[in-house]
Amino acid sequence: MASFTASSVSFSAVSCSFKQNKVSSLGKGSLSFSGNGSPSRRLPALRFRVSCAAKPETVNKVVDIVRKQLALPADRDVSGESKFATLGADSLDTVEIVMGLEEEFGISVEEESAQSITTVQDAADLIEKLLEKK
Amino acid sequence: MKLHCFERTFFHSSSSLTPIQLPSPMETHLWYVKPSEVKSGSLLNQYLDILPPCERENVLQMRGEELRKSALLARALVRTTIARYQINSHSNPRSLKFRKNLHGKPEVQWQFRDDQHPPPLHFNISHTTSLVACGVTTNAQIGIDVEEKHRSIKHNILSFARRYFSKHEVQFLAAISDPQVQRMEFIKLWTLKEAYVKALGKGFSGAPFKTFTIRFKGVMEGGFITLEDLSPKASEIVVDSFDDPADLTSNWQFSLLELANSHYAAICTEKHGAGSGKRNAPGKLTVWKTVPFLEDECVSGTAAVKIICGVQ
Repeated sequence: MASFTASSVSFSAVSCSFKQNKVSSLGKGSLSFSGNGSPSRRLPALRFRVSCAAKPETVNKVVDIVRKQLALPADRDVSGESKFATLGADSLDTVEIVMGLEEEFGISVEEESAQSITTVQDAADLIEKLLEKK
Repeated sequence: MKLHCFERTFFHSSSSLTPIQLPSPMETHLWYVKPSEVKSGSLLNQYLDILPPCERENVLQMRGEELRKSALLARALVRTTIARYQINSHSNPRSLKFRKNLHGKPEVQWQFRDDQHPPPLHFNISHTTSLVACGVTTNAQIGIDVEEKHRSIKHNILSFARRYFSKHEVQFLAAISDPQVQRMEFIKLWTLKEAYVKALGKGFSGAPFKTFTIRFKGVMEGGFITLEDLSPKASEIVVDSFDDPADLTSNWQFSLLELANSHYAAICTEKHGAGSGKRNAPGKLTVWKTVPFLEDECVSGTAAVKIICGVQ
């Protein structure tokens, strides 16, 4: 679906992602929570944004900081779409992540902005916005 | 039917929840689950089964088995806990509806047929992968926070405190020379501040951590005493808010506990009838360790609950 706004043009195709863990039908048999060995098959999310999206390097730096803070296993996929909450970040983690981002990028993030960050992409976009202002 | 704490353990043969009366106005109930003690796949299935589709989806979206389990237990705990109080004869955890207030604080959306006053039950939950807790009060706002005692902080404690805490709190932490003790005092302070913000229900930015100080009455000026040095009866945890003079210290009371030898738990509740000059008696706290549908154990007064400060 294409949308035009005053400041950006964005096209987003449906992003197809296959969740790594299949859950057996509810109410029947045993619930399998454990991740299995098969690698996740995921088509890349097709998203082309002309103006305000953060550079991949910024996203990657955010991913590194998040991985370190949450001590994620190497096989845990983290990308721009990843939500902090679903990665297991609680409020203290989130605050530490924000502090890590402030230190890495030399910026200062206000509480209101910090509260609105839910994904890695949100964080990267905010960082670039703050860097532009400097 | 009132649960008495000297009858410690209740076993149930089927999916039943022991009904319980709401806490009295000066009382708080705290229920907690340890995910490591819930091993049965069929029990976890039962928990999943009482959730509506959207909550189920949220649980399953969590990345990693431990996270999914604690997210599931958090929803199961809050639903089964509230169901126990059988408000308006509603005792089915499945039928509870929840919504968020203006600032994102979860609350029960009570179902009424006619125009009735909402029941006075208030609750708040907090969870880590190793412990899930739910606090309940009557007619009083409540906020709780639990953290692992041995949680590692990635940043330098004082740098973190200077960035997020108030000056008074930085001074308190800076005066502690032992880094381990400093880290633990930091975690205690964090849980208290979180509990306060959650009780206020205004969201993280509604009461930024820098704008209020939590301190322990009885701490000497210029030095420090760790909370262990203070006898629980002699000390009190208080909050000073810089931004909101209407939010008086006397409106809120705090308790700080060590749960199951592994976690700090902070509870902040609204105080009512805070008369001028009158010293309010600390509230009563009753704590249950539970595996919903399976087993409840009242653990108040046992080694599982160590009161650091604040309640009887």
